[in-house]
Amino acid sequence: MIGVISYLVFFATTASILAIAVLGLNLQWGNTGLFNGGVVAFFGAGAYATLILGGTPQAGHLGGFELFYPLALLGGMAAAGLLAWIVGLLTLRLRHDYLAIATFGVAVAFENLMRNAEWLAGGAKGVRGFERPLREALGDGFLYNLLFFAVVLVILIATYLFLERLVASPFGRLLRAIREDEEAAQSLGKNPTKIRLTAFVTGSVILGLAGGLYGTFYAFVSPQDVLPTLTFQIWAMLIVGGAGNNRGAIFGAFLIWGAWTASGWALSRFAPVEAQLYTGSVQFILIGSVIVGMLMWRPQGLLPEKLVVSQRGKTPLVKQGV
Amino acid sequence: MTNKLVYAAALGLAVGLPALPGTAQAQDCTTKIGAVLPTSVDWGRPIAETAQFAVDQVNAAGGAAGCEIEMVLRDTQVDPKVGVDAAKALVDLEGVKVLLGAVSSGVSMPILTSVTVPGGVMQMSCCSSSTAFTGLSEEGKTNGLWFRTFATTGVQSAVGAKVAADKGYKSVAVLYKNDDWGQDMARLIAADFAAVGVEVTTSVAINDGQPSYRAEVTEALATQPEAIYLALYPAEGTAAVREWISLGGTQNMILANSLKSDEFRDNVGMQYLGAALGTDTASPRSDSADAFRAAYQERFGSEPNGPGLANSYDAAMIALLAMEAAGPDASGPEIAAAVARVTDPNGTPVSADTAGFTAAKEVLAGGGTVMFQGATGNVRFDANGDVSAPAVIWSFSESGTEEVEYLSLPEVDAFIASLN
Repeated sequence: MIGVISYLVFFATTASILAIAVLGLNLQWGNTGLFNGGVVAFFGAGAYATLILGGTPQAGHLGGFELFYPLALLGGMAAAGLLAWIVGLLTLRLRHDYLAIATFGVAVAFENLMRNAEWLAGGAKGVRGFERPLREALGDGFLYNLLFFAVVLVILIATYLFLERLVASPFGRLLRAIREDEEAAQSLGKNPTKIRLTAFVTGSVILGLAGGLYGTFYAFVSPQDVLPTLTFQIWAMLIVGGAGNNRGAIFGAFLIWGAWTASGWALSRFAPVEAQLYTGSVQFILIGSVIVGMLMWRPQGLLPEKLVVSQRGKTPLVKQGV
Repeated sequence: MTNKLVYAAALGLAVGLPALPGTAQAQDCTTKIGAVLPTSVDWGRPIAETAQFAVDQVNAAGGAAGCEIEMVLRDTQVDPKVGVDAAKALVDLEGVKVLLGAVSSGVSMPILTSVTVPGGVMQMSCCSSSTAFTGLSEEGKTNGLWFRTFATTGVQSAVGAKVAADKGYKSVAVLYKNDDWGQDMARLIAADFAAVGVEVTTSVAINDGQPSYRAEVTEALATQPEAIYLALYPAEGTAAVREWISLGGTQNMILANSLKSDEFRDNVGMQYLGAALGTDTASPRSDSADAFRAAYQERFGSEPNGPGLANSYDAAMIALLAMEAAGPDASGPEIAAAVARVTDPNGTPVSADTAGFTAAKEVLAGGGTVMFQGATGNVRFDANGDVSAPAVIWSFSESGTEEVEYLSLPEVDAFIASLN
């Protein structure tokens, strides 16, 4: 029994971390319409920077600053934000698929940089030597995982509330205006370029936060953690959950990650012995089919975006405008 | 009425008791061990098959620690998140005390730091090669729970340097796979070549899955080396070597054990591989190695040629021997501690098959220790869970590979010492 609870806590921690990342992407794509095809670059920047800033000294590469953990995590978020700002300045003039291709390229470049620049982050060996905060006091058994989960959950809820407030504010309305018709927004005296950049950087900082927590949880990060698969997974979570809906984003993260892990478990347990070796491949087919099915029959996602009036007016006229 | 029920309950209890675990006989109970391997990748599947093969042999000998062994296999998809989750599920939901895997160091490492060490589970990898594990262990952070049967990085680069020195090559270009293993190999071989006075003209990284390696090959060719060192896997190795030879590169090749594959030989062609010499850790000079090869051939219909097969077999076998030595219901740390009893250089030699396992059971039951003579040699772990092993220099032949020179464990150790 304790084993089941222990596993569920572990599962929920990973799912919550991914949910934070999906929320970040939702701000970019769901609310602002920015097609970020390089999710892993910002996620990875957060993970790498957190471990480099907060880790113990390691021979052969940068790191070992042993910063107080919250500072290291903030540093991870800052690194993701800085990367997003630079990338944003260069690429946000691009629209839709062009932006997707450009950001995808950034993500591949990021992975290759991490793989090859051994002086920076250990190359293919990755970054280790990170002491998880409070591990000495709590040990590293079930209690630690439970408390770490609680912290991740609080951060997830805080991120959710922040984004709910943000999209309900006039700024949130502006994001949707730009998403729907950028020229119309511009004609009303708004500066879409600046707003797009702000949304892109904010979303990326949230992705960096998720990356930092991910690195902390495993106390390790390597180029294998920032392969394009992760971008695909986070996008699948958003599309299935419902782009433009923060609750959908969280729900999608839990659902897809749950399906991903449960299918592996179920196949290992129930598939016939002679098929055991092929369960890995079967799992890929199953997950792919679910996503294709969603796109065909429910493209708006399980919890679709609800369009609301962001500031309730006093006259009924406003309600008609929805 | 009530009395009858009580009697019935008491009778049930009395009958039921002997069937409880602990007193059970072999085959009456099942102990699960976990395996997290990349079965969705082409070269990962044979590694899993070989581990299962070892489990089957042990079950033929009546299982380990009094119970039949069931290996629960999970796929890692070479994705750290997926591998870690699978490992955690095996430890928490299936209750395994022994975990085999993973293959990639980038997957094995987070499993070690976030699942097996916190959970007190022994982890034995067939193939993870990163030097980061040695570092982690030296810092005392693996709690003695980490082992790997992949000895080849240090041994292999040293023997590669010996080949170059023996052949009298003055300059060598290095092509290496751009992952943790390849980067380690490139770094080690450069140091070892320097130690024997061979110049490394250039060291070029080969990324996976490129349609052409012309740019990389041209770069290496421009330095005009006398020979080329290849730390590559068969797929990229074939593509790179084809371009190398078609552009007029030398056929003096030194190959890492990852290229000891029929696929590589057939796809490049024997006529170009006459001057190629490979290195590998070797089987011991005993009947057990032949027994393994014969048994493998009987089961799978081919020689055990392929990256990690012998290592995977030994990892599974040593883990099961350690379970036997630790006895029923042993914890992960107890099993890890028992590894020394089954890889004792002064112990009774046992072969790598069902008969060997049966023999080991008797010795261990009598309180003795055994020396496991496995498919990769007389495996012996150091304090960091790393292994050293005898080495062999091999070349390709029409039927597979043939041995050119055998270096015993003391010879390997002496040669490595002479390099430093």
